Amino acid sequence: MISRILLIALLLACAIAPPAPIAEASTDPQREDWNQLLQSAEKARDENRDEDALRLFRRALILQPESEEALWYLGTMLYEKKQYAEARDTLRLFMTLRSDAGAGWALLGISEFNLREYPRALDHLQRARTMGVGDRKELSQAMFYHLAMLLNRFERYDEVMVILASADPDDSLIEPAGLHGLRMPYLPEEIPADRREMVEIAGRAVIAFQAQRYDEAETACKKLIAEYPNEPGVHYLYGAFLSIQRPGEGVPELERELQISPAHVLARVRLAEQLIGKRDYDRALALAREAIKLEPKRVSAHLYAGEALVGKGDLADGIKELEIARDGEPDATRIRWDLLRAYVSVGRKDDAQREKQEIEKLLHTDAQGNPGEAGDTPHDQTTH
Amino acid sequence: MPSFHIGARFRSLHPTILLLALSMVLSAAADAPTHFDTVARQADAARTANQVPDAIRLYREATRLKPDWSDGWWYLGSLFYDQDRFAEAAAAFQHLLDNPKYRGSAHAFLGLCEYETGQYDEALAQFRAWAGAGWAGTPELRTVGYYHFSLLLTREGKFTQSLALITWLVPRLGDNAELTEAMGLASLRIQYLPENYPPELRERIWLAGKVALYAQMAPRQFESADQFAVQLVTRYAGQPEVHAVRAMLYEIEEKKPEAELEYREELKISPNHIPALVALASMDLDKGDTAEADVFAQKAIAIEPNHAEAHHLLGRVFLANRELAASVKELETARQLAPRSAAVRAHLAMVYGRLGRTGEAKVESTAYVELKNKADAAATLRMKNEGEPRIPGQDLSDDSREKTN
Repeated sequence: MISRILLIALLLACAIAPPAPIAEASTDPQREDWNQLLQSAEKARDENRDEDALRLFRRALILQPESEEALWYLGTMLYEKKQYAEARDTLRLFMTLRSDAGAGWALLGISEFNLREYPRALDHLQRARTMGVGDRKELSQAMFYHLAMLLNRFERYDEVMVILASADPDDSLIEPAGLHGLRMPYLPEEIPADRREMVEIAGRAVIAFQAQRYDEAETACKKLIAEYPNEPGVHYLYGAFLSIQRPGEGVPELERELQISPAHVLARVRLAEQLIGKRDYDRALALAREAIKLEPKRVSAHLYAGEALVGKGDLADGIKELEIARDGEPDATRIRWDLLRAYVSVGRKDDAQREKQEIEKLLHTDAQGNPGEAGDTPHDQTTH
Repeated sequence: MPSFHIGARFRSLHPTILLLALSMVLSAAADAPTHFDTVARQADAARTANQVPDAIRLYREATRLKPDWSDGWWYLGSLFYDQDRFAEAAAAFQHLLDNPKYRGSAHAFLGLCEYETGQYDEALAQFRAWAGAGWAGTPELRTVGYYHFSLLLTREGKFTQSLALITWLVPRLGDNAELTEAMGLASLRIQYLPENYPPELRERIWLAGKVALYAQMAPRQFESADQFAVQLVTRYAGQPEVHAVRAMLYEIEEKKPEAELEYREELKISPNHIPALVALASMDLDKGDTAEADVFAQKAIAIEPNHAEAHHLLGRVFLANRELAASVKELETARQLAPRSAAVRAHLAMVYGRLGRTGEAKVESTAYVELKNKADAAATLRMKNEGEPRIPGQDLSDDSREKTN
């Protein structure tokens, strides 16, 4: 586990801006005592006399409970020694004083993760991600790893994919990727023994896909299908892969998934998308509507319902669905293109003009930042 | 999927409190300021400027100067709570338990703090006091409070009450991972908290939670519930509670024959499974099989003598067999254990009537109508995501099942 491999050197490099320096010419005897105490603590820490260092930092905190320096060093040492409960409490005190320290949120979040305080760990790791942890690669890896696991466990699958896409693909992410690929909201240690291999194969498929090693991804998918033909999620994973790689070929896999998992929303959505590509609007609409019934807020279901309705010539109802999709995902250009065309068809010039302007804005933003793919909604951008 | 986490913290300060503090500061400003006034004003200013360390230091100082300053304790507790410093927050909220303005919410906050510091029995007592005080607090506090209260009820083995409380949140939060987990634990009758159950139980808890959650959504999503129930039974057919979960879903879906089969499967695995015994006794009664109903109800009572619904069912068995004296005895026991069960009162009215005890029959009939109306109104409010939950633990023994027939 990545949390185990954070190096003491990393922690002691003080992942935050340096705390206030020790006063140089203090005439306050108490202050001088404290300065001496802190220096002794740091010396003990540098000489790897951990127990002495911990004792001295604790004493320093009795004298100055709000010393950022002492709190940080004590918190990171406790973290490194896997004393997560005390590390958590110490880092919480530190974060009250230094809520701008991304690395502090990361260490706090990982400590909470190890104490199984998952909601709070997720909250704090997200803060760390937002603030950044600087160029500390190992801490960054640990943060991404734990975030991916937690987002998956909280069934926030769409966000997991964003995390996986932004992290360097490496073997430590195989299990989180596999769990995500199969939509299993477990942590690696929670994977049932008889499913571990299945998760690993799925993870290799997802990671290979992510790294654009498509042959390897397909080989893994085929192996998954061969060995676990009746398990939920397996056919969806391959169907989604095929839908992106060779549109149309994914249909049988997605249909098989629906036989195994009759309430699978994304299989319906992907299937609807494929059927729209084949101009089979009636079936696409039926599937999209079923998906909406199962998950009313699923943007892509409204998108494909809208596209199917427009395809059938029902522009009024199609526009309504597309507008719901647009409101749910205002940055998705595909939805806005659909709406633009539909507005033009019914003569709503002002609305069409507004959509055109929004598309130009979005394309401009994309050109400056993430080029993205104008066709997909962010929800279902990848194999999922 | 909502990003809101009921297991994480939330902002506890609200506008009415801010106004109150402001008016206090303004009125204090009319007179010559004392040292306390100055510190309190600085504390408020630091808090509103989001200077949390300063605000904490100043509220500490102000409450030291004036220990009966309840607004100061409230803010201090809230600031600590928002920083996840639960032990310090609890110490501040303790000062508010005698204050009529803050007492209700303080119980809830104390419950939350004590939960976080691992003082689970104390936390449960605080939540019960909170319920007794009328579930005071903002909607956010109620949501977080119901959730943790429910978890603690599961830990204590009050599974039915836990589910009743957590179900209250389903229309509000929808398909939520934390609700799923909480409902899974209660449905499988596992006396653990989300923080400490064995990892190998995760899949089972998740699958059972999805079954329970989808079955309680508004509108109910039986297709999804069924899909997860199939997975649960396929994966864990030989494990305790699994068939009972499947049976309960069938009951909600009004598929009684299928439910009966699953309950009988559960009894093969767990012969003393009280919910299965009680459910089967009820089903037998509906079919007129009083002999087997008698056996199941008697067995349930032998295992758990204070099980209200088991006494109720046994009373109904005697009623069906025209053993009226025995029926009255069982139904009166049920009433004593569950005075707010409308169904018990209805059957008592019936038996009293047959015995010619018309006065008592009338009293029970009136009670039945009142309780039924209240239950219907509460159910309507719940479906509209309004109102308050019934106070768990006040009228039903653990795992009794209310029936209206």
